Amino acid sequence: MKRLEVWLYHLCRLILAAVFIYAGSVKMNDVVAFAGHVAAYQLLPYSSNYLVAVTLPYVEFLVGMLLLLNSRVRPALLTIGGMTLVFMLALVLVLLRDLNIDCGCFDPGGGQGVSAWGALLRDVGLMVLVVLCWWLRTRTSDGESAER
Amino acid sequence: MFADLKRILPETCVLIALGCLFGLTINHQLVLDAFSGRLTAQPSAIAEESGLAALPMPAMLDEVRQLVASGGIVVDARSPDLYTLGHISGAVSLPMAEIEVSLPDFVQQVAKERTIVTYCSGFGCPDSFDLGVLLLEAGYRDVRVFEGGFPEWRDAGLPVGGGEQ
Repeated sequence: MKRLEVWLYHLCRLILAAVFIYAGSVKMNDVVAFAGHVAAYQLLPYSSNYLVAVTLPYVEFLVGMLLLLNSRVRPALLTIGGMTLVFMLALVLVLLRDLNIDCGCFDPGGGQGVSAWGALLRDVGLMVLVVLCWWLRTRTSDGESAER
Repeated sequence: MFADLKRILPETCVLIALGCLFGLTINHQLVLDAFSGRLTAQPSAIAEESGLAALPMPAMLDEVRQLVASGGIVVDARSPDLYTLGHISGAVSLPMAEIEVSLPDFVQQVAKERTIVTYCSGFGCPDSFDLGVLLLEAGYRDVRVFEGGFPEWRDAGLPVGGGEQ
Protein backbone atom coordinates (compact mmCIF):
# COMPACT_ATOMS: atom_id res chain seq x y z
CA MET A 1 0.00 0.00 0.00
CA LYS A 2 2.69 2.45 1.05
CA ARG A 3 4.80 1.46 -1.92
CA LEU A 4 1.94 2.01 -4.33
CA GLU A 5 1.44 5.48 -2.91
CA VAL A 6 5.08 6.38 -3.35
CA TRP A 7 4.97 5.12 -6.93
CA LEU A 8 1.79 7.04 -7.66
CA TYR A 9 3.26 10.17 -6.10
CA HIS A 10 6.30 10.07 -8.38
CA LEU A 11 4.08 9.44 -11.38
CA CYS A 12 1.91 12.51 -10.64
CA ARG A 13 4.97 14.60 -9.94
CA LEU A 14 6.70 13.63 -13.17
CA ILE A 15 3.60 14.14 -15.32
CA LEU A 16 3.14 17.65 -13.90
CA ALA A 17 6.86 18.35 -14.29
CA ALA A 18 6.79 17.31 -17.95
CA VAL A 19 3.66 19.36 -18.72
CA PHE A 20 4.97 22.54 -17.13
CA ILE A 21 8.57 22.29 -18.36
CA TYR A 22 7.18 21.82 -21.88
CA ALA A 23 4.59 24.58 -21.55
CA GLY A 24 7.16 26.99 -20.15
CA SER A 25 9.95 26.30 -22.61
CA VAL A 26 7.88 26.54 -25.81
CA LYS A 27 6.44 29.86 -24.66
CA MET A 28 9.86 31.20 -23.62
CA ASN A 29 10.93 30.59 -27.21
CA ASP A 30 8.39 33.02 -28.64
CA VAL A 31 7.42 35.50 -25.96
CA VAL A 32 5.97 38.02 -28.43
CA ALA A 33 3.64 35.48 -30.03
CA PHE A 34 2.56 34.33 -26.58
CA ALA A 35 1.78 37.97 -25.70
CA GLY A 36 -0.56 37.93 -28.69
CA HIS A 37 -2.30 34.84 -27.32
CA VAL A 38 -2.70 36.51 -23.93
CA ALA A 39 -4.11 39.59 -25.65
CA ALA A 40 -6.69 37.44 -27.45
CA TYR A 41 -8.35 36.83 -24.08
CA GLN A 42 -9.05 40.58 -24.00
CA LEU A 43 -8.60 40.75 -20.25
CA LEU A 44 -5.63 43.11 -19.99
CA PRO A 45 -4.62 46.44 -21.56
CA TYR A 46 -2.27 46.10 -24.53
CA SER A 47 1.16 46.52 -22.92
CA SER A 48 0.29 44.44 -19.84
CA ASN A 49 -0.05 41.38 -22.04
CA TYR A 50 3.70 41.59 -22.52
CA LEU A 51 4.21 41.53 -18.73
CA VAL A 52 2.29 38.27 -18.44
CA ALA A 53 4.10 36.86 -21.45
CA VAL A 54 7.59 37.55 -20.07
CA THR A 55 6.90 36.18 -16.59
CA LEU A 56 4.43 33.28 -16.82
CA PRO A 57 6.56 30.91 -18.95
CA TYR A 58 9.51 31.30 -16.60
CA VAL A 59 7.41 30.55 -13.52
CA GLU A 60 5.98 27.50 -15.30
CA PHE A 61 9.45 26.30 -16.22
CA LEU A 62 10.78 26.85 -12.70
CA VAL A 63 7.99 24.90 -10.98
CA GLY A 64 8.37 22.16 -13.57
CA MET A 65 12.07 21.87 -12.78
CA LEU A 66 11.44 21.79 -9.02
CA LEU A 67 8.92 18.97 -9.48
CA LEU A 68 11.37 17.10 -11.68
CA LEU A 69 14.09 17.49 -9.05
CA ASN A 70 11.63 16.50 -6.31
CA SER A 71 12.55 19.62 -4.41
CA ARG A 72 10.19 22.22 -2.84
CA VAL A 73 7.38 20.10 -4.20
CA ARG A 74 4.51 21.61 -2.23
CA PRO A 75 5.39 25.25 -2.95
CA ALA A 76 5.63 24.23 -6.61
CA LEU A 77 2.26 22.45 -6.42
CA LEU A 78 0.67 25.45 -4.74
CA THR A 79 1.98 27.68 -7.54
CA ILE A 80 0.69 25.31 -10.22
CA GLY A 81 -2.67 25.08 -8.49
CA GLY A 82 -2.95 28.86 -8.32
CA MET A 83 -1.94 29.32 -11.95
CA THR A 84 -4.30 26.62 -13.15
CA LEU A 85 -7.16 28.25 -11.24
CA VAL A 86 -6.41 31.55 -12.99
CA PHE A 87 -6.24 29.77 -16.38
CA MET A 88 -9.61 28.13 -15.71
CA LEU A 89 -11.16 31.44 -14.75
CA ALA A 90 -9.83 33.03 -17.94
CA LEU A 91 -11.20 30.14 -20.01
CA VAL A 92 -14.61 30.41 -18.36
CA LEU A 93 -14.64 34.11 -19.27
CA VAL A 94 -13.73 33.17 -22.85
CA LEU A 95 -16.67 30.75 -22.97
CA LEU A 96 -19.05 33.28 -21.43
CA ARG A 97 -18.08 35.93 -23.96
CA ASP A 98 -18.12 33.42 -26.81
CA LEU A 99 -14.62 34.30 -28.06
CA ASN A 100 -13.18 31.92 -30.61
CA ILE A 101 -9.49 31.92 -29.69
CA ASP A 102 -6.60 29.54 -29.28
CA CYS A 103 -5.98 28.96 -25.57
CA GLY A 104 -2.24 29.64 -25.97
CA CYS A 105 -1.60 26.96 -23.37
CA PHE A 106 1.38 25.48 -25.18
CA ASP A 107 3.23 26.24 -28.43
CA PRO A 108 2.40 29.84 -29.42
CA GLY A 109 3.44 29.11 -33.00
CA GLY A 110 1.16 26.10 -33.52
CA GLY A 111 -2.15 27.32 -34.96
CA GLN A 112 -5.57 26.54 -33.57
CA GLY A 113 -5.19 23.96 -30.82
CA VAL A 114 -7.93 22.67 -28.57
CA SER A 115 -11.18 24.51 -27.87
CA ALA A 116 -11.75 26.46 -24.67
CA TRP A 117 -13.83 23.53 -23.39
CA GLY A 118 -10.98 21.13 -24.12
CA ALA A 119 -8.47 23.39 -22.39
CA LEU A 120 -10.79 23.74 -19.40
CA LEU A 121 -11.14 19.98 -19.16
CA ARG A 122 -7.37 19.61 -19.34
CA ASP A 123 -7.00 22.14 -16.51
CA VAL A 124 -9.45 20.14 -14.40
CA GLY A 125 -7.20 17.11 -15.00
CA LEU A 126 -4.16 19.09 -13.92
CA MET A 127 -5.95 20.21 -10.77
CA VAL A 128 -6.77 16.59 -9.90
CA LEU A 129 -3.10 15.69 -10.34
CA VAL A 130 -2.02 18.64 -8.19
CA VAL A 131 -4.36 17.73 -5.33
CA LEU A 132 -3.47 14.04 -5.55
CA CYS A 133 0.25 14.85 -5.62
CA TRP A 134 -0.07 17.18 -2.62
CA TRP A 135 -2.00 14.62 -0.64
CA LEU A 136 0.42 11.80 -1.44
CA ARG A 137 3.38 14.03 -0.69
CA THR A 138 1.97 14.84 2.73
CA ARG A 139 1.25 11.17 3.44
CA THR A 140 4.53 9.78 2.24
CA SER A 141 6.57 12.46 3.98
CA ASP A 142 4.88 11.83 7.32
CA GLY A 143 7.48 10.43 9.61
CA GLU A 144 10.37 11.63 7.51
CA SER A 145 12.39 14.08 9.52
CA ALA A 146 13.18 16.76 6.98
CA GLU A 147 11.04 17.18 3.92
CA ARG A 148 12.80 18.81 1.06
CA MET B 1 -2.35 18.03 5.17
CA PHE B 2 -1.95 21.78 5.50
CA ALA B 3 0.09 21.82 8.70
CA ASP B 4 3.19 23.16 6.99
CA LEU B 5 1.38 25.97 5.21
CA LYS B 6 3.23 28.61 7.21
CA ARG B 7 6.47 27.37 5.73
CA ILE B 8 5.10 26.55 2.29
CA LEU B 9 3.41 29.89 1.60
CA PRO B 10 6.54 32.07 1.88
CA GLU B 11 8.46 29.57 -0.23
CA THR B 12 5.72 29.74 -2.83
CA CYS B 13 5.94 33.52 -2.95
CA VAL B 14 9.73 33.38 -3.30
CA LEU B 15 9.38 30.83 -6.10
CA ILE B 16 6.91 32.96 -8.05
CA ALA B 17 9.01 36.08 -7.48
CA LEU B 18 12.14 34.31 -8.70
CA GLY B 19 10.41 33.12 -11.87
CA CYS B 20 9.04 36.59 -12.60
CA LEU B 21 12.37 38.24 -11.89
CA PHE B 22 14.16 35.81 -14.16
CA GLY B 23 11.72 36.40 -17.02
CA LEU B 24 11.78 40.17 -16.57
CA THR B 25 15.57 40.22 -16.55
CA ILE B 26 15.90 38.19 -19.72
CA ASN B 27 13.20 40.17 -21.55
CA HIS B 28 13.72 43.60 -19.98
CA GLN B 29 14.28 45.28 -23.35
CA LEU B 30 11.03 43.92 -24.75
CA VAL B 31 9.08 45.09 -21.70
CA LEU B 32 10.66 48.57 -21.79
CA ASP B 33 9.88 48.88 -25.48
CA ALA B 34 6.30 47.70 -25.01
CA PHE B 35 5.56 50.15 -22.22
CA SER B 36 7.24 53.12 -23.87
CA GLY B 37 5.48 52.39 -27.17
CA ARG B 38 8.81 52.02 -28.94
CA LEU B 39 8.07 48.55 -30.20
CA THR B 40 8.09 48.38 -33.96
CA ALA B 41 6.75 45.66 -36.16
CA GLN B 42 9.44 43.25 -37.25
CA PRO B 43 10.58 43.59 -40.85
CA SER B 44 10.17 40.24 -42.57
CA ALA B 45 11.88 38.85 -45.65
CA ILE B 46 9.94 41.17 -47.99
CA ALA B 47 11.20 44.27 -46.19
CA GLU B 48 14.78 43.06 -46.15
CA GLU B 49 14.76 42.29 -49.86
CA SER B 50 13.26 45.63 -50.81
CA GLY B 51 16.49 47.62 -50.52
CA LEU B 52 14.53 50.81 -49.94
CA ALA B 53 16.50 53.75 -48.65
CA ALA B 54 13.68 54.67 -46.27
CA LEU B 55 11.58 52.19 -44.33
CA PRO B 56 8.13 52.95 -42.95
CA MET B 57 8.25 54.89 -39.70
CA PRO B 58 6.71 53.47 -36.51
CA ALA B 59 3.75 55.34 -35.05
CA MET B 60 2.42 55.14 -31.51
CA LEU B 61 -1.22 55.09 -30.50
CA ASP B 62 -1.42 58.84 -29.84
CA GLU B 63 0.27 59.68 -33.13
CA VAL B 64 -2.13 57.42 -34.98
CA ARG B 65 -5.09 59.22 -33.42
CA GLN B 66 -3.67 62.57 -34.49
CA LEU B 67 -2.91 61.32 -37.99
CA VAL B 68 -6.45 60.02 -38.35
CA ALA B 69 -7.85 63.34 -37.11
CA SER B 70 -5.72 65.25 -39.61
CA GLY B 71 -6.87 63.23 -42.61
CA GLY B 72 -4.50 60.28 -42.67
CA ILE B 73 -5.70 56.99 -44.11
CA VAL B 74 -5.63 53.89 -41.94
CA VAL B 75 -5.02 50.63 -43.76
CA ASP B 76 -5.78 47.17 -42.35
CA ALA B 77 -3.29 44.51 -43.52
CA ARG B 78 -5.12 41.57 -41.92
CA SER B 79 -7.36 39.04 -43.60
CA PRO B 80 -10.84 40.10 -44.77
CA ASP B 81 -12.37 37.82 -42.11
CA LEU B 82 -10.60 39.60 -39.28
CA TYR B 83 -11.47 42.95 -40.86
CA THR B 84 -15.15 42.01 -40.87
CA LEU B 85 -15.01 40.92 -37.23
CA GLY B 86 -13.69 44.31 -36.17
CA HIS B 87 -11.31 47.01 -37.38
CA ILE B 88 -10.13 50.52 -36.58
CA SER B 89 -13.05 52.78 -37.40
CA GLY B 90 -12.69 54.14 -40.93
CA ALA B 91 -9.86 51.78 -41.90
CA VAL B 92 -9.51 50.51 -45.46
CA SER B 93 -9.02 46.76 -45.90
CA LEU B 94 -5.86 45.88 -47.84
CA PRO B 95 -5.07 42.26 -46.93
CA MET B 96 -1.43 41.27 -47.45
CA ALA B 97 -2.57 37.85 -48.65
CA GLU B 98 -4.19 39.31 -51.77
CA ILE B 99 -2.15 42.47 -52.12
CA GLU B 100 -1.44 42.05 -55.87
CA VAL B 101 -5.15 42.32 -56.55
CA SER B 102 -6.07 45.16 -54.23
CA LEU B 103 -3.03 47.44 -54.34
CA PRO B 104 -3.56 48.81 -57.92
CA ASP B 105 -7.10 49.93 -57.01
CA PHE B 106 -5.85 51.55 -53.85
CA VAL B 107 -3.07 53.40 -55.71
CA GLN B 108 -5.60 54.73 -58.21
CA GLN B 109 -7.92 56.04 -55.53
CA VAL B 110 -5.53 57.42 -52.95
CA ALA B 111 -3.21 60.34 -53.73
CA LYS B 112 0.50 59.81 -53.10
CA GLU B 113 0.64 62.83 -50.78
CA ARG B 114 -1.70 61.30 -48.21
CA THR B 115 -0.33 60.02 -44.94
CA ILE B 116 -0.96 56.31 -44.55
CA VAL B 117 -0.95 54.27 -41.36
CA THR B 118 -0.79 50.48 -41.66
CA TYR B 119 -1.64 48.02 -38.93
CA CYS B 120 -2.28 44.31 -38.34
CA SER B 121 -2.79 42.18 -35.22
CA GLY B 122 -0.01 43.71 -33.09
CA PHE B 123 2.43 41.56 -31.11
CA GLY B 124 5.09 41.27 -33.75
CA CYS B 125 2.84 40.50 -36.73
CA PRO B 126 4.88 41.42 -39.83
CA ASP B 127 2.09 42.27 -42.28
CA SER B 128 1.74 45.94 -41.37
CA PHE B 129 5.46 46.48 -41.89
CA ASP B 130 5.50 44.56 -45.18
CA LEU B 131 2.49 46.48 -46.43
CA GLY B 132 4.22 49.72 -45.44
CA VAL B 133 7.23 48.73 -47.54
CA LEU B 134 5.01 47.96 -50.54
CA LEU B 135 3.24 51.32 -50.20
CA LEU B 136 6.58 53.14 -50.10
CA GLU B 137 7.60 51.24 -53.21
CA ALA B 138 4.33 52.24 -54.83
CA GLY B 139 5.32 55.88 -54.38
CA TYR B 140 3.68 56.95 -51.12
CA ARG B 141 5.97 59.25 -49.15
CA ASP B 142 4.57 59.24 -45.64
CA VAL B 143 3.88 55.69 -44.49
CA ARG B 144 3.71 54.75 -40.80
CA VAL B 145 3.32 51.41 -39.10
CA PHE B 146 1.13 51.15 -36.01
CA GLU B 147 2.72 48.23 -34.18
CA GLY B 148 0.05 47.91 -31.51
CA GLY B 149 -2.42 47.24 -34.28
CA PHE B 150 -6.04 46.35 -33.70
CA PRO B 151 -5.59 44.94 -30.14
CA GLU B 152 -4.04 48.14 -28.76
CA TRP B 153 -6.61 50.34 -30.50
CA ARG B 154 -9.53 48.24 -29.25
CA ASP B 155 -8.12 47.93 -25.71
CA ALA B 156 -7.75 51.71 -25.54
CA GLY B 157 -11.51 51.95 -26.08
CA LEU B 158 -11.18 53.81 -29.38
CA PRO B 159 -13.84 53.65 -32.10
CA VAL B 160 -14.09 50.28 -33.79
CA GLY B 161 -15.96 49.35 -36.95
CA GLY B 162 -17.30 46.02 -38.11
CA GLY B 163 -19.27 43.24 -36.48
CA GLU B 164 -19.40 41.99 -32.96
CA GLN B 165 -16.56 39.89 -31.72
